[in-house]
Amino acid sequence: MTKAPFVLIVEDDEWVAEQLARTLNGVGIRTEHAPHALAAIDMIDALPPAAIVLDVLLAGPNAFTLLHELKSHSDLADLPVILCTASADQLVQEDLSAYGVRQVLDKATMMPDDLVVAVRKVLP
Amino acid sequence: MSFLVTAAHELKAPLALIRQLALSLETDLGAQGERERMLRQIVLVSERSLRLTTDLSRTSRLDDSLFELEPLNPQQICEEVAHELEPLYKAKGREIRASSRYRPILAVANRDLLRRILLNFGDNALHYAEGNTPVELRAATFENGKKIRLGVRDYGPAVPVDVWKRLKTSLGTETQVLHARPQSSGLGLYVAGQFAGAMNGEIGATRHRDGATFYVDVMASRQLSLL
Repeated sequence: MTKAPFVLIVEDDEWVAEQLARTLNGVGIRTEHAPHALAAIDMIDALPPAAIVLDVLLAGPNAFTLLHELKSHSDLADLPVILCTASADQLVQEDLSAYGVRQVLDKATMMPDDLVVAVRKVLP
Repeated sequence: MSFLVTAAHELKAPLALIRQLALSLETDLGAQGERERMLRQIVLVSERSLRLTTDLSRTSRLDDSLFELEPLNPQQICEEVAHELEPLYKAKGREIRASSRYRPILAVANRDLLRRILLNFGDNALHYAEGNTPVELRAATFENGKKIRLGVRDYGPAVPVDVWKRLKTSLGTETQVLHARPQSSGLGLYVAGQFAGAMNGEIGATRHRDGATFYVDVMASRQLSLL
């Protein structure tokens, strides 16, 4: 895994993950990919990312399991999270803020630049 | 109405990916190899989505139609499905194969519906399977040769017990939110259950420590035993 600051993409569809990485890598933002929440927890334990781009419905434990896990660790509680989901219309941003979710992107309507802007906004 | 919402959600995810890929192709000249890969992904994701739309339209006509049942070789069906899904699996760096049988067996089923059930299971397994272990399609007899089970075995993280219990309760009879399994709504499994019912068969699933087998049971043909 790279030691430079990176964004962790947690997404169970590898082609969606690849597309998100392609978009971010294209503007010089480094990425790593975790296919499910458990892998993400392992990767974050090894080296915390600068931000997380997180799908909601994942194979195995869903995004909220990961969000709860992050909140339970003081050193990770403030890790910025961007939800990137096809179920954005069912989520309420205010309810998610407590989990460190800075923005919700709707996969169905977002433009590639929206992801870049959202990530740049939360990067240190 | 919930069925429509589920179906809409199932189609939303692949359409969203196709749109993202198209937007990138529109604005990014990129390397030729990368563009070809993205175009290939658009084709394969589209084909997978079209399979779902065909299944949905066929499901709505099940009540009005009689599906011809015929003796057919389940091993051959497994091989056909593995062959049809191979490009999608290959594009994702995975492998699918049909296990070979020594003794021939014959099932009584509708070829098209049986294929579609296995394609659904195969799509399901692709999303869920991990690592380099191939997904396997297998046909076998049980109940002293009276029935034939065609199964798709995948290897991935075990499904949590509570999720599995919910799945088993409503498998193939209703759509369900199933976060620990692919397609998340269980729509593909619902469709498979409807198709199996139209052939007097049924679908089921077996949980393994390292994955799952989704299967369809149909009647065995007695023709071979008469030879």
